[in-house]
Amino acid sequence: MRSLADVDVLSPASVDEALEILHQKAGGIKIVAGGTDLIVQMKHRIIGKTDLLNIYMLDELRYIRLENGSVRVGGLTDFATIHKSPVVRTAAPVLAEAASTIGSVQILNKASIAGNIVNASPAADSLPALYVLEADLHLRSKASSRTVPIRDFYKGYKKLDMRPDELLVEVSFKQVGDGYLGKFFKHGLRQGDAIAVVNGAVLLKWDASSKAVSEARIALGAVAPTVVRAEKAEAILVGSRLEETAIVNASRAVQESISPIDDVRGSAAYRREMSTNYVYMTLRMLAEMVRK
Amino acid sequence: MGVILREFSFKLNGQPVSVKAPPAYTLLETLRYVIRLTGTKDGCSSGDCGACTVLLDGRAVHSCLTLISHVQGREVVTVEGVDPKIVKAYASEGAVQCGYCIPGLVVATAALLREHPKPSTEEVREMLKGNLCRCTGYVKIVKAVEAAAGV
Amino acid sequence: MTVEARWVGREIARRDALEKASGKTKFASDMVPDNLLWVATLRSKHPHARILKIDVSKAAKMPGVVGVFTHRDVPNNRYGVFFKDRPVLCDDRVRYIGDPVALVAAESREEAEEAVDEILVEYEPLPVVSDPLKALDPASFKIHENGNVCRATRITFGDVEKALQDCKAVVENTYRTMPQIHAYLETEAGVSYIDDKGRITVVAGGQSPYRDHHEIVSTLNLPADKVRVVIPNVGGAFGGKDDISVQIHLALVTWKTGRPARLVWSREESTISGTKRHSSIVKMKTGASADGKLTANYVEIVYDTGAYAALGPAVLDVAIETCNGPYKIPNIDVRAWLAYTNNMVASAFRGFGAPQVHFAMEQQVDQLAEELGFDPLEFRLLNCVRKGDYGVFRNKLVGSVGISKCLETLKNHRLWRERASLKDVRTYPWVKRGVGVAAAMKGYTLGALPDKGSVGLELRLDGGFTVKGSFTEIGQGVVQAVSQLAAELLKTSIDKIEVVFADTAETPDTSVTSASRQLFLAGNALRDAVNKMLERIGRGVEMVCGRPVAEVHLSEGYVQTSSGIRIPLTEVAETLERAGLGRSVVGVFDVPRVEPIPGSLEIPHLFYMFGAALAVVEVNVLTGVVSVNELVAVADVGRAINPQTLTGQLEGAAAQGIGYALLEDVKISEGRLLTTNLSTYLIPSIKDVPEIEAIAVEDHEDSGPFGAKGIGEIGIIPVAPAIANAIYDAVRKRPFTAPMTPERVYWLVKKQD
Ligand SMILES: Cc1cc2nc3c(=O)[nH]c(=O)nc-3n(C[C@H](O)[C@H](O)[C@H](O)COP(=O)(O)OP(=O)(O)OC[C@H]3O[C@@H](n4cnc5c(N)ncnc54)[C@H](O)[C@@H]3O)c2cc1C
Ligand code: FES
Ligand code: FES
Repeated sequence: MRSLADVDVLSPASVDEALEILHQKAGGIKIVAGGTDLIVQMKHRIIGKTDLLNIYMLDELRYIRLENGSVRVGGLTDFATIHKSPVVRTAAPVLAEAASTIGSVQILNKASIAGNIVNASPAADSLPALYVLEADLHLRSKASSRTVPIRDFYKGYKKLDMRPDELLVEVSFKQVGDGYLGKFFKHGLRQGDAIAVVNGAVLLKWDASSKAVSEARIALGAVAPTVVRAEKAEAILVGSRLEETAIVNASRAVQESISPIDDVRGSAAYRREMSTNYVYMTLRMLAEMVRK
Repeated sequence: MGVILREFSFKLNGQPVSVKAPPAYTLLETLRYVIRLTGTKDGCSSGDCGACTVLLDGRAVHSCLTLISHVQGREVVTVEGVDPKIVKAYASEGAVQCGYCIPGLVVATAALLREHPKPSTEEVREMLKGNLCRCTGYVKIVKAVEAAAGV
Repeated sequence: MTVEARWVGREIARRDALEKASGKTKFASDMVPDNLLWVATLRSKHPHARILKIDVSKAAKMPGVVGVFTHRDVPNNRYGVFFKDRPVLCDDRVRYIGDPVALVAAESREEAEEAVDEILVEYEPLPVVSDPLKALDPASFKIHENGNVCRATRITFGDVEKALQDCKAVVENTYRTMPQIHAYLETEAGVSYIDDKGRITVVAGGQSPYRDHHEIVSTLNLPADKVRVVIPNVGGAFGGKDDISVQIHLALVTWKTGRPARLVWSREESTISGTKRHSSIVKMKTGASADGKLTANYVEIVYDTGAYAALGPAVLDVAIETCNGPYKIPNIDVRAWLAYTNNMVASAFRGFGAPQVHFAMEQQVDQLAEELGFDPLEFRLLNCVRKGDYGVFRNKLVGSVGISKCLETLKNHRLWRERASLKDVRTYPWVKRGVGVAAAMKGYTLGALPDKGSVGLELRLDGGFTVKGSFTEIGQGVVQAVSQLAAELLKTSIDKIEVVFADTAETPDTSVTSASRQLFLAGNALRDAVNKMLERIGRGVEMVCGRPVAEVHLSEGYVQTSSGIRIPLTEVAETLERAGLGRSVVGVFDVPRVEPIPGSLEIPHLFYMFGAALAVVEVNVLTGVVSVNELVAVADVGRAINPQTLTGQLEGAAAQGIGYALLEDVKISEGRLLTTNLSTYLIPSIKDVPEIEAIAVEDHEDSGPFGAKGIGEIGIIPVAPAIANAIYDAVRKRPFTAPMTPERVYWLVKKQD
C-alpha cells in the first residue's frame, strides 16, 4: 500500500476554475470526486501517481432535476442521494434500484455517478440502468461542451470517448413514461456488499390494450469489456405476452451478446449461465407484475 | 520523495482544528498519524471493512477513502465525538469482543439512528452491511443498536 | 452438583467493553511511540526460488533510511515450534510469495516504503509445487531438504477391512476443503522499544508471550532477561496470531538500532503472509450395521501446510483424533499426511484441524443414516459416546461428555420437529429449502503433551486482589472470566479484582492461549493460588492476633476466623508487608494427561468439548446462492462462567462457520494468492448471518473451574457439515467441496441433472 504523501491536490472553487486547471495540466492531473475508486487504485499501484484535481466541493455539480420530461443528474451526485431521490424513484425506478446496490452505506454516501461512469468498470452497477435508460453524458472542457450517448462513450475495456481536459458534468435521460416496467439485478457473491459477477437491467413497455410487450431493453454488465445491450433477446420479447417460451427464448438469446472472461470472482462459463438465468428470473418477476 | 505539507481546517468532534498534512493523505492517516487520535481504526485501508467509519457532515463515510483535502471546511465526527449512549449500548449488550470493529460500528450506528430513529432489523442490517466484524456473529450488534434506539 | 455462586454464571458486561467501544483502548496498531522508526518488509515475488544475491546498498543510502536488515543480521535464522524450518529473513531460498527477505527501518513510513523498492534481489525461479498430492510424490521437487512430507502417520485399531465386509451399508467419498483466512479486523501489528530496565520490549498482537519471547531470544541469540514481550488487547486472533509474525523483526530492528520501531502489516500482507487454515483432501470409507451401529471407518487425510510446518504437525493430530466424530467405532484405520507446498503457510485456526474432517465425517454419517433408513439425529444418538465409554483410541472418557445432551436439544428443537412444514414454504419455484444437522467434538488442553500453567495472585495494600497471568485477551473475554472466577473464589466484589495479563516481565507463564483451554488452565491455577493466598492471609491474621488460627474465610474485604475474629484485608496486607512475608503467591496447574498412543503426538485428550448445529437453508438452483435462514448452535460448555461472553463466542464461531461453509474461497494459482483483500476474500457481513440461536448445554466438568470447560473452538466445527447436509436435503445433491460458493453449488445442482 503506497503512501500518497508526495501527491499534490488542487481544490478549485468552481467548475470553471476546474476546467481551467484541466486545460493547463491536461494529462498531468487526475480528477478525484468521491475518491472511492481512485484512492484505492493509486494506493495499490493499479494506476500511477499523479497530482489530483479535487472536485468534491463543487456543489454546483450536485443536483437532480426533472425538466421537460428529462431527468438531469449532476455528475457529483452520490448514489445515496440518487437512490432516495423522489424524482429518480418515480421517473427512473430502475436507476434508483441500481443505485442502492453500490457498496455499503459508506460507499453510497461518497460514490458519485460520474465516478462510476468514468471509472468504467464493466461491473459498475449504475451502467446497465443507464444503458436501458439510454442516458446522455454531458462533457465540458474549457473550450467546448458536448453530449455523448452512453453507448458511444465506451470504446472498449476502460477506453472512453473523453479527453483528459474534459469533465463529466451531467447525466440525463428521458423520464420513463406510463406502461414502463423496469428491474435491476445484481449477482454478488455475498449478501452484504460485493462487486457484481453479473449485473443487468431490464426495461419493458407493456401495452395494456394488446397485452403485449411493445418495447424491450436489456443491458448486461460484467460479461464483456463494456456493458452490452442484449439486442437479440430484446427482439424476441417485443410483441410477446411474456409467456414462458418467450421468456426462456429471450433469456437464452442473451448469450449472443456477451463475451465473458474468467476472473477471481467467477468463470466465464458461470457468468454465461448467470446471464441467462438472471434475465429469466427477472422477466418472470416482471411477468408476474404485469399480470397483477 | 518530496513530502508535501499543507494546512487544513475543519471541525473535529465539534471543535475547530487545523492540521498540517500531505493533501493526498487520507483522513484516516491524518487522524491516526498526524492528530494521533486512534479511536478510528484501520482494518483494510480499502473501503472493505468499515472500521474507519466517520461522519462527514453527518453522513457515514470511510475515512480511508476520504482525502484530507475532501474535509477542508467540513465537519468530521469520529467515535470520540459520538453520543455516549450508543457506546454504552454496545458495551452492555455484550456486542464487544476484540473490539477492533466496534468504533466503526458505533459511528455507523449514529448515522443509522439519525436516518431511522426506530430502525427495523432489516434497516439495521442494510445500514451496517459495510461494517465487518469477525468476532461476534453480529447477533449482539443488532441488539446493541436496538438498545441504543430504545426499541 | 453446581456450586451456589455469586459471580460465576452471571451475565455481567465485560469490563473492557466500554473502553473498546469508545475507541480509547490502545491496540498494538494504535501505538505510535515518539522517535520511532517505521519498518517495511520486502517479500518474495516468487512462490519458489533460489536467492542468488541480495544487494541492499542502494536502499541503505536512501533518504531517511536508518537500517536495512537481511538474514545476515540474524544469528540463528530458523525458528518454529515443531520443526525449526522457517527463516526469520530468507537466506538461500524463498518458499512462498509472502516470504520475508529484508526489512527497512526509516524515519518515515514513506521513506521505508520507497527504500524497499530499491533492494535488489536476484532470484532463480524453482519449480512451484502447489498441489499437495503432487508434493507427496517422492519424485516432486523438494521444498525442504528432507522432502515434502512434513509428517506422515497411521493409526489403526481393530480390523477395518474385515469390519467393512460385514457392514450393511458402506459409503465412500472424497471431500475437499479450501484454506480459510483468519481475517481478524486488526492485522498483525506491533511496536518495539528499549524499556526503562534496558530490555528490548516487543508489544505486539499475539497469543503466547512466552513462546514469542522464546523465539526472539533463540533467533537473535539474546539473553532471556534482555527481552520482554507484552501482548496488549488484540484485535482478533482465532489461532492466527499463535505463530510469529512481526515480533522477531521488530526486536531485530530495535536491537540493531536502539530505537523504537513500528511494524504493521497491510491487509494484503496479512492475507498473504499470515497463517491459514489447512486445505484438506479427506477420503473416507465408513460402514454401519443394519441396526444402525457405526462399525468401521477407513480414512486418508492430506493437509497442506504450505511452505513451513508451523503448528501443522499438531493440527494433523487433531484431524486424526476427531475424524471419527463423537462416535463409538470399534474399527478405525486412519492414515494422515502433512504436505509441504509452495502455498501460504497453514497453522492454527479455531477448530485446529477438526472442521475439515468433520465436513467429511458428518456427511458420511448422514449418508449412512439415509441408506439404513434412520433419522439423522436418532442415528447420531445411537452412536455417540457417553461418559465412561471407551473412545476410538481405546481411551476411557473420564471427563464430561455432553454430546447426547446437545443432540437431544436439537431433536426437541422447534425447527427440527417442524422441518417438514418448513421445507414446504415456497417463494419462487427456483428456491429450495433444506434442513441439516451435524455433531462435533474436539479435545481441549494440549492432550497428551505436557501442559502446565501458573497464575500469580497479589493481595494489594488497598485490600483488593490482582491476578497475573500470561493469558492473552484476543477478544474471547478471558480477562472478564478470570475476574469473575477470582471474585467468586476470593469472595469479594468484582471491582476489587484487577487483572494484569500477557507481559513476560510482569506475569507468570500461564502457557499459550490456544486450544480453548486458557480459562480451564488459568481457572485451575487460580484456584491453587487462592488456596495459597488463604494460607498466607492466615499467617497475617496470626501476626495481627498474636496466636495461631485454624482456618480463615474471606468476605467482602474482610477475613474471618472460626473463632469470630474479623479483620480488614487492608490490615492483613499491611502486616504482611511490614513483616516482609510477601503479599503474592503463584498458583500452578499441571493439566492431567495420559501417554500419547503410538504414532501420535498428543492423542488422546482427557478432556473433550462437544457441539452440534442445525441449519435451515435456501438454495437458489438458478444461481447457486445458498442463504442460511436459521442456525442453531449448541455446545456443551460444562458451566457458563459468563453467559453473555459465552453465547458471544458461540455466535461468532458459528458466523465464521457460515463463512467457511459458503463464502470464504481462497483462490491460489501456482502458489500465488488471488484473493488478497476483503473485496475478493469475502467474510460474512451482517446480512449473511441470520439471528443465530446459541444454546449452551451444561454438562458439568469435575476437573474444570466451577465445572467449566473449553468453548472457544467447538462452535465452528459442526456448521459447515450441517449446512452441507441441509443443501443435500434441499437439492438432493451432495456437496463434497467447501466452501459451497454459488458457483460450486450451481454446477453441483446442474451437473447431475
Ligand atoms: C468497497 C467498495 C465497494 C464498491 N462497491 C461498488 C458496487 O457495488 N458497485 C459499483 O458500481 N461500484 C462500486 N465501487 C466502486 C466505486 O464506489 C464507484 O465506481 C463510484 O461511483 C466511483 O465514484 P467516485 O466519486 O468515488 O469516483 P473517484 O474514485 O473519485 O473517481 C473515479 C474515476 O472517475 C474519474 N472522475 C470522477 N469524477 C469525474 C468527473 N466528474 N469527470 C470526469 N472524470 C471523473 C476519476 O478521475 C477516476 O478515474 C466500490 C468501491 C469500493 C471501494
Ligand atoms: S479501513 Fe476503511 S474500510 Fe477498512
Ligand atoms: S469485535 Fe472483533 S471484529 Fe468485531
